[in-house]
Amino acid sequence: MNPTTYIGTGFSAHKNPFEAAKEASSRAKRQIRAKTPNLAIVFSTTHFSQHSLLEGVYFVFGDNTNVIGCSGYGVIDNSGVHKYGVVVMAIYSTKIKSGFGCIKEINADNTRWAGEKFARASLKNLGSTTREIALSFCDGLLEKNSELLSGVKDVLGRSFPIIGCSSADSLLFSKTYQYFNKEVLNKSIVGTILSGEGSFGYGLKHGWQPLGRPRRVTYSEGNVIKRIEENPAIEIYKDYFKKNTEEIKDLLNQISILYPLGIYLSEEEEYLLRNVIKIDNDGGLICQGDVPQGSQIRIMMGTKESALEAAKLAAQEAKYKFNDTAILGAIIFESVSRIKLFGYRINEEVETVKNILGETVPFIGVCTFGEQAPLKSLEYRGESHFHNETIAVLTIGERHGLA
Amino acid sequence: MAWLNSLSLQQFSFEDILYVVGPSIIVIVLILNIISLLKDRRINKLRRSLEELQKTYEALDNQAKLIIKTDLELHKTQSELDKKISSLYTLQKISHTLSTTLDENEIFQKISEEHITELGFDKALVFLVGPTQTTYSPGTTAIKLRIGYNEKDIEAAFSQEYIKDIFEQAVKKGATLSSIDTKINPKHLNAILKSSKIQSFICAPITTKGAIVGILFVASESSYSPITTGDKEIVSILATQIGQSLENAQLFEETWRSHQELENKVTQRTRELSAALEEVKAVTKRKSEFVSAVSHELRTPLTSIKGYASLLSAGKLGELPQPVKERLEKINKHTDSLSQLINNMLDISRIESGRVEMKIEDIDLRKLLETVFDLLAPQFKEKQINFSQEVAKDISTLPADINQLQRIFINLLSNSLKFTPPDGKIAVRAKKTDGAVQIDVEDTGVGIAEKNLDKIFGEFYREDNEINQSVKGTGLGLSLVKYIVEAHKGKIWLTSKLNKGTTFSFTLPISKA
Repeated sequence: MNPTTYIGTGFSAHKNPFEAAKEASSRAKRQIRAKTPNLAIVFSTTHFSQHSLLEGVYFVFGDNTNVIGCSGYGVIDNSGVHKYGVVVMAIYSTKIKSGFGCIKEINADNTRWAGEKFARASLKNLGSTTREIALSFCDGLLEKNSELLSGVKDVLGRSFPIIGCSSADSLLFSKTYQYFNKEVLNKSIVGTILSGEGSFGYGLKHGWQPLGRPRRVTYSEGNVIKRIEENPAIEIYKDYFKKNTEEIKDLLNQISILYPLGIYLSEEEEYLLRNVIKIDNDGGLICQGDVPQGSQIRIMMGTKESALEAAKLAAQEAKYKFNDTAILGAIIFESVSRIKLFGYRINEEVETVKNILGETVPFIGVCTFGEQAPLKSLEYRGESHFHNETIAVLTIGERHGLA
Repeated sequence: MAWLNSLSLQQFSFEDILYVVGPSIIVIVLILNIISLLKDRRINKLRRSLEELQKTYEALDNQAKLIIKTDLELHKTQSELDKKISSLYTLQKISHTLSTTLDENEIFQKISEEHITELGFDKALVFLVGPTQTTYSPGTTAIKLRIGYNEKDIEAAFSQEYIKDIFEQAVKKGATLSSIDTKINPKHLNAILKSSKIQSFICAPITTKGAIVGILFVASESSYSPITTGDKEIVSILATQIGQSLENAQLFEETWRSHQELENKVTQRTRELSAALEEVKAVTKRKSEFVSAVSHELRTPLTSIKGYASLLSAGKLGELPQPVKERLEKINKHTDSLSQLINNMLDISRIESGRVEMKIEDIDLRKLLETVFDLLAPQFKEKQINFSQEVAKDISTLPADINQLQRIFINLLSNSLKFTPPDGKIAVRAKKTDGAVQIDVEDTGVGIAEKNLDKIFGEFYREDNEINQSVKGTGLGLSLVKYIVEAHKGKIWLTSKLNKGTTFSFTLPISKA
């Protein structure tokens, strides 16, 4: 049986952005037998001129290729994590169809609407083909990333798998980028709904464990936890770390990565993690994703070993569907928090994923400010959530008899 | 139902009812009391259990706090260690890259944004300083490396007095300074961070040959990448590495320059020497031609003089008085000397100009020596000088021009005879050396002063001694010998001790080629 899908990947750390993109794209194109890809996924660090980067991609692929992607704190390929560089995945397929969507100028007031609009546009562009999975990249600096995802879910359904990430920069939290064809965007969501039955697998895990007693969020507004057990939310950190507000503020970057908050979800296997990015004047904790009022939360603790085990499980889940056949390519969404947690050992995580998926499976990845994926995928098509501190793996393959 | 209707309640008094129901109520109350008591006990038990559970929960929570506190400390140490390891790895990469170049400008081009990012910084700047310029000065400072800054940024960020002061301190103290140093005035530090739009920085001096020549400034824009003392050490090592590379490049440049100068000098001298040699050759050629022409011109009239003198002294033109005869004898003798001088000069001139071709053939050295001895036997006899010859057994023949070799022996033996007092010894020895036959002519003569040994083969040179003053000579004999030996591609030299004797040694190649 002739394959219907080809996937190639390339990486470059060339100083010149055009040359870097050209080099990475050329490598990817060579692996798909020099065919013109239907879809190219681009991830890059923010060191480059982003426009020149896309020019380099189009120089190699030509105008008939749809490009989506985003910036990250780092990029990933089979050789490991690179804090400087660009990765490109080229997908040529006669089986997988795409419906693209892009919504710009998202703000706090139109977030949910933007999510809905993105989903509708993508569905419309996909046409009548059966949808299989959504791949989306949104600005990691948007205030309400969870709400954006809720908007997408409102249209696609709660159990429809949405996988993707929030773009990142070099931890400056000043500007992140999303790519949609030849456009470099901010405050946007870009992506595609893909068809192709049996072509996708996914897995997401974090490996953080709950610690201490559960506490109830007595008052929250979207992504801000105002009060926990009727006390200002910051008290939870003050209590655990025995430090005053100012000290907590100074240590927040570190605390937030190592000890995020975990939201207990009765219907899910794992806690949903939330990074705290700021502390407001009332002692409220501003998180990277929504925390529902009334939810039970706990302080979470991660170790390199548990995080490594989680990566293994995520990769295993993503591979599960393709046990009888080869995976053609994979995309990894890796939280920047994990980069910080692993330190110089970060490539061990990439190696773990590589060992599970198979040495020869080409993959790319990006280090993100947030990940989107279903929490559970073994028993049922779990609901997609906005996550922090996780590793999400998307696999693309070709199962026999499903072409 | 009739019997029931007939029973009217009015027929029973309260007491009757109490009498009948009372015990039952009492029993019920008692039972209820017992149940209530049991429930209370259970509630109390549950309450106690709950309290205990709560206590355990609290204890566990406290333990969690303890775990987190310990874990935070551990993480801090671990992350610093992690950062150090990954920085050292990057530093090793940079060092390797720098070691591949010896070009000063290329050194800075080799440090890339990727390297700086991997070290955990967003910006880097290297500029040169000197004895007169100890800090950044807009417009005049030579910027060698600029990562994460454009020109406008640099001027805006580094024109501020506080940061200039940091640079100056780093240069003057030769110390690495950073935003985590407690010695920096917090107000000044805030001003620096604000104007430079950075969260932290490290400033390290670059040293070559003990002098500070530049500043390496790295900065982080993100509060998520705080610098540590480990970072300071790493940046300091990087600055040292850059300094070392610059020093190597300078050393290479100096060595290359002096090598170039030396090469130029050698080329110049070679050219001069070649020109001088050409000139010498031309002069020699002219001299040879002149000597040859003059000798020819002299030989013709000399032959006539000698002919006429012989005619006169033979008395063919009439008997001559004795005094005239004596004068004629003298003319004859001097004409012979002059003729020999001219012949020698002609030979030298011919050999020198390459006009004499050596007719190389295998010569029986022993036979030749016997012939030469026969020729000189009267002189040996006259001065009672003992002659001996010793030719090594492995020498049967020797390739040479027989006439020229004979001239060598005649000249050398005549020379020895001349300077060896009566009853002395002259010996000729021949032995094989490396690819040649070495022949020594040894005498027990007056010897030659050491200072004159180099002059002995010079044309017309005559040693200033009593013998030379009394015995006439041309001063060309040994020169001729040298020319003949060299024409055979051999070498000639001598050793001598005053009043002990002299040994002339020469070699002739065994191979005919």
